[in-house]
Amino acid sequence: MTSTPGGEYAPHLREHPVPSRPVRAVGSAAAHAMRLADEFFYLAHDDQTGRPRLFESALAHGLAAALLAELHWEGRITFERGYVRVVRNAPPKDWLQHLVLDRLIAEPQHTATRTWLAFVATTAYEQVATRMWQLGLLRQHQVGRWWRQRTAYVPADMNTAAWSWARLSYQLRNYQRLNAFDVALAGLAMHTQLDPILLDGAPLAARTFLRQQVEQAHPPLRDLLADLGAVVGGAVLSHRTA
Amino acid sequence: MSHSKPDTVSAVLARGRLGIPSVVFFVIAAAAPLTVVAGGATTGYAVTGVTGIPVAYLVVAAVLALFAVGYVAMSRRIVNAGAFYTYVTRGLGRPAGVGAALVALLAYNAMQIGLYGGAGAVTAQFLADRYGLDPAWWVCALMVWAVVAVLGVARIDLNGRVLAVVLVAECVVALVFDAVMVSHPAGGTVAFDTLAPSHVFAAGIGAALVTAITGFVGFEGTVVFSEETKDPRRTIARATYIAVAVTGLLYGLSAWAMSVATGPDRIVDAARADGTDLIFNLVSPYLSQSVVTVARVLFITSLFAALLSFHHTVARYLFALGRERVLPAVFGRTSRRTGAPKVGSLVQSGLAFAVLVGYALAGADPIVHLFFWITVTGGLGVLILMTVTSAAVVGFYRRISHTEGPWRSLIAPLTATLALGGILTVTLREFDTLLGVAPDSPLRWAFPAAYAAVALLGIGWALLLRTANPEIYHAIGLGADSDTGPLRAPDTVRQPA
Repeated sequence: MTSTPGGEYAPHLREHPVPSRPVRAVGSAAAHAMRLADEFFYLAHDDQTGRPRLFESALAHGLAAALLAELHWEGRITFERGYVRVVRNAPPKDWLQHLVLDRLIAEPQHTATRTWLAFVATTAYEQVATRMWQLGLLRQHQVGRWWRQRTAYVPADMNTAAWSWARLSYQLRNYQRLNAFDVALAGLAMHTQLDPILLDGAPLAARTFLRQQVEQAHPPLRDLLADLGAVVGGAVLSHRTA
Repeated sequence: MSHSKPDTVSAVLARGRLGIPSVVFFVIAAAAPLTVVAGGATTGYAVTGVTGIPVAYLVVAAVLALFAVGYVAMSRRIVNAGAFYTYVTRGLGRPAGVGAALVALLAYNAMQIGLYGGAGAVTAQFLADRYGLDPAWWVCALMVWAVVAVLGVARIDLNGRVLAVVLVAECVVALVFDAVMVSHPAGGTVAFDTLAPSHVFAAGIGAALVTAITGFVGFEGTVVFSEETKDPRRTIARATYIAVAVTGLLYGLSAWAMSVATGPDRIVDAARADGTDLIFNLVSPYLSQSVVTVARVLFITSLFAALLSFHHTVARYLFALGRERVLPAVFGRTSRRTGAPKVGSLVQSGLAFAVLVGYALAGADPIVHLFFWITVTGGLGVLILMTVTSAAVVGFYRRISHTEGPWRSLIAPLTATLALGGILTVTLREFDTLLGVAPDSPLRWAFPAAYAAVALLGIGWALLLRTANPEIYHAIGLGADSDTGPLRAPDTVRQPA
């Protein structure tokens, strides 16, 4: 590894150049520092109803990968040839990142990226939803008939929720280079098979462009995404209704 | 190993992991014991005219157990271990791997589509007997087809618990029937003729052996679950041996019990006269009618479970090949909402539909021409695959440095290769007996030739990819892991070019 993980890309994280033409209500978007898992959560759910756009295991593993990628960008961990390595122990500001990093530090006997994806995936949905709810990004809703009631999360603001979808979709269709944050988000979508929602009706060239953009990602991120793709594919292959 | 460190990760991941019983249930359900006992064994007697069917089941169980030794050992060292062609790719090279992949697609499609013949005919018969309806077999087959097609694309598998209950019920029914048949032998004496080892060297044994192998297809699926088991090293190995042993003994026992009830010299004629009703007709004088009805329903559900299971198998193969882009990438896409490999599922259903319509228009016999011919052709394909896979296990262990003992890495797989190769040779020599056609019928060559054709097609395609698209060529055999291909070596092995 030649570069410090996260180092060269860090400036992109909190700057989001508005696309040359506004897409949906720009004013309401990106008011806070965006975090990858939150944005992936938005992308993977309907912006109005909050219903998932993705099957459960792909969603859970996508969120897990997003959380690990957040830690990578905070300069705490890196990915190499299928393994996770902690590079800096200092606690991150965000409580959820902190929680995941603590586990990684506490259990160094597990190093395979796939093990961590599987582990974080077991709790990622609730955790990310809780984090977003605390910030007022999601509202809790009781759904279902009385015999199977559960808490669902609905985006508090439709425009905020649709922002990353609109941004990615617009940029990909217009062959505009994505910044590092969006490359990661698009990569997560591509490897969880969520990309059709970004490219619905777009020409084949847009799909190729997406692939090219994702392939230019930082090597540790590409390594994480490859494992994510394999885990999601594996879930399809060994599916059973337990 | 440290015991002082916390291990929440292992503890959390161990939740919901599969134990030996679950894996055994999943794969035996695919093999569908009652389908084999009531359908496969009886039709085997009838079409081949061979009385050595029971001993064939036992011999095949022994050979498959031997095959499983190397197969399971190698499954721990490779990715995408659920598919035979991965083993062939790693052991014998990528061109052979793609050839094996196409053979597998043809074989599993044949298994699945052939079962529709059984399901259609048996369901029609049941409706006629019970409710006095008279639907054509293909009407019932298409109804079953519609349900399988919908469940397939919705990615619904039979619930593990339901499957377990049905499976146990099937086994209990088969054992009760066996007990009834053996306690009411023809002529008053229990004859062991059909179990005589001399059958192994008799004429027509090839047909009997491949009939038996057809009954076991599905047991190889244990390795699909290897990443989801509590203890991958032990669980998969034991589950595989248990599945082979349980089904082998059950099939052998039931086929023998039928020959006891009819008398060994009359079993072939009785099977020809009664078809898939034979086992029910033999026991119905001694059991209450409701028990027999329940058994008939279980026969239909077992056919259904097998149909759904093979449907998922084909869809999975197409998905894995699509992910590698050996087949068009569209096969590698899943339904966003359900995660079903939807394109593979739809294509399989489409193919089955076309074949069913073809058979209905041609007016062919659903049991002999569809159920038996096509499933044993599927069995032949799986036999070819297992032979090549076994050779690939030997090739794989010769090329890597490993700590596996000589039994698992060489002796067992080599012996299995020779045994399976022997079965394959006699099967091909006796394919006319298997189909029940004249020795000079072109059909006896048509079915095996189809496998040769697709294998050559696959090899040619792989060689084309090697020059035209090396990136895809290098991902062959990686299945869902193909994304990781460009970033790291799939295993410690240097691939043959």
